[in-house]
Amino acid sequence: MWGDLQMKKNNTPPTYSYGSSAVPVEASKYVICAKDIVKSFYVGTPNELEILHGMTFNVPKGEFVSIVGQSGSGKSTLMNIIGALDRPTSGSYFLDGVDVSRANDKELSAIRNKQIGFVFQTFNLIARTSALKNIELPMLYGGIPAKQRRERAKELLEIVEMSDRAGHMPNELSGGQKQRIAIARAMANDPAIILADEPTGALDSKTGRLVMDLFHKLHKEQGKTIVLITHNNELAEETDRIITISDGNIIGDTGNRNIPREEAEA
Amino acid sequence: MGFFENVLLAISGLRSNKMRAFLTMLGIIIGIGSVIAISTLGSIMENSVMDIFNSQGGANLVAFQLNMKDDAQRDYIMDEDFITADMIKDVEQRFSDDIDVVAVNSGSSSGKMNIRRKDYDITLYGVNPGYIKQSMTKVIAGRYVTDKDCEQFRSTCVISDKQAKKIFGSERGAIGKTIALTMNDGNMIDLTIVGVYQYQLSGMMSAMVNMMGEDWNSEIYMPYTTFNRFQGTNEDRFYYFYVNTKTGVDAESFSTAVTDFLNNGYYRDNDSIEIMYMTAQSQMDMIDQVLGMLQLAISVIAGISLLVGGIGVMNIMLVSVTERTREIGVRKAMGAPNSAIRMQFIVESIIICLIGGVIGILFGILLGNIAGLIVGTTAPPTIGSIVLAVGFSMAIGVFFGYYPANRAAKLDPIEALRYE
Repeated sequence: MWGDLQMKKNNTPPTYSYGSSAVPVEASKYVICAKDIVKSFYVGTPNELEILHGMTFNVPKGEFVSIVGQSGSGKSTLMNIIGALDRPTSGSYFLDGVDVSRANDKELSAIRNKQIGFVFQTFNLIARTSALKNIELPMLYGGIPAKQRRERAKELLEIVEMSDRAGHMPNELSGGQKQRIAIARAMANDPAIILADEPTGALDSKTGRLVMDLFHKLHKEQGKTIVLITHNNELAEETDRIITISDGNIIGDTGNRNIPREEAEA
Repeated sequence: MGFFENVLLAISGLRSNKMRAFLTMLGIIIGIGSVIAISTLGSIMENSVMDIFNSQGGANLVAFQLNMKDDAQRDYIMDEDFITADMIKDVEQRFSDDIDVVAVNSGSSSGKMNIRRKDYDITLYGVNPGYIKQSMTKVIAGRYVTDKDCEQFRSTCVISDKQAKKIFGSERGAIGKTIALTMNDGNMIDLTIVGVYQYQLSGMMSAMVNMMGEDWNSEIYMPYTTFNRFQGTNEDRFYYFYVNTKTGVDAESFSTAVTDFLNNGYYRDNDSIEIMYMTAQSQMDMIDQVLGMLQLAISVIAGISLLVGGIGVMNIMLVSVTERTREIGVRKAMGAPNSAIRMQFIVESIIICLIGGVIGILFGILLGNIAGLIVGTTAPPTIGSIVLAVGFSMAIGVFFGYYPANRAAKLDPIEALRYE
């Protein structure tokens, strides 16, 4: 069912050339390569509303970046675009070398499935479905055979230290546990980025801390590229790099404040 | 995502809301159940009618009877209008190549049989030897009424096995015994038992008899000649007579020939009465037609209930889609394409209808056979009707599930994720 939609991943640099905005060299160098991203709503009506006014930024592989902004800053809109839930009105967005801005709905689904691991503020585990099955979900839609799914899900449970909760239903888990399952789910298809939207927003500071530690662990040990969307400056300070947005514009970008790791440079 | 996974998903979804799932299925259960019940009952009734039909000689049976002409000069029947024994003999001779057996019945009379100071209700019939074909009986001891009985006006009779057992202890024990009958008009007659018949009514008839509480088979047969004399007539006259043609004889052309023969001969000068015929086949066709119409009418009602059931399924699926908007958003974020979401909900709808359909089939078979038990026979449901019912319930699932499923598939993932 998915054969024709398998995304090309980590293969030879793509040679896209969509008009003048094509940035094939950069697009192949970065995991996220966003250029002049504009997002407007009610396009073509008198109420046309531009939310993002042309954002340009790149995220190299293995970076732990946070996007910070107050509510109403365009944070959610940007997150939807980064997460391939939405397309920019204009500008280009390459995710791991694939032009998301020109993908159709079916291709967007495949991109979300293979390249993006979502972590939500409210966990969003599927109700009445065991932790293990929840983790299997992206693999289910990815067409991975049942046995492999099961093995991978168990492996992920071990990584998030939840092996003893495999059969539990979401309503039998605490908030922190739910979020750890959600993180395991986000990693199921080994995506190019983990996109976490206020992952500690619904947790108390202690469990929030545990979740953040898990992200750091994934970043350091697995070399994951993580995009953290938050309005919490303290959390943002923990990450490699902070992109600050306000009123639909990037108003600050610290760049990677840590010494880039060797794998990231390769 | 495979079909099997969708099935598991749908079942777990339904299990989480059993009551609602059941109520949703109810419409389908009733619809499919009534279709199956009707088709089961239909085949039971058809079998039952077929039984009677065949036991009476089936396609070979023709009845000839008196009929008032369209331009009749009077509205009553006179003595000279009746069919006489001579006429029947004439027909028998003329058409001997075609006729297997002729049956006559010169009417019946009710009365009581007094045995050991106890009265038993009886009905006395005057018949000829051929009548055994029409009475659905089989002689199990002694003999039936014979030509000699008729010719010699013998006071013989044939009683039922139930009567024999009740009064004489056994079928054989009854042979040769004499019974005294008192008819309701005051006449009394003594008859010698020469035979015992096994009373057997197929399906529907016995059901009716049983419902009327008549567990005692009251018919007693005696020679029609003796019966007529006993009734006070010196001539043997009949309203009707039956003919069983030989196999291979065309009932229609034979019947036309016989009626033409009688109407152009004996009845040529009769201004009001003629002979008409009725073949069993035409009767059978009529019964079939009535049964068919009945079945059609109830099928229409069943169809309406399936439609209502289907709308119920659609309604619940719409509710389910709305309730699970957020789940749909999450699934889409995890990379579920629209087709997978659509499939998930269509499968759920199919499963509801399929489970409903299967319960309906079982329910229908049960209902049809309970009705069948009252009638006296049961029948297994036809494979065709089951396949049709299963297929139809799945089709309902697809048809009424498509719109809600499509709505789910078309949800904007961003909106869906934001849904509270």
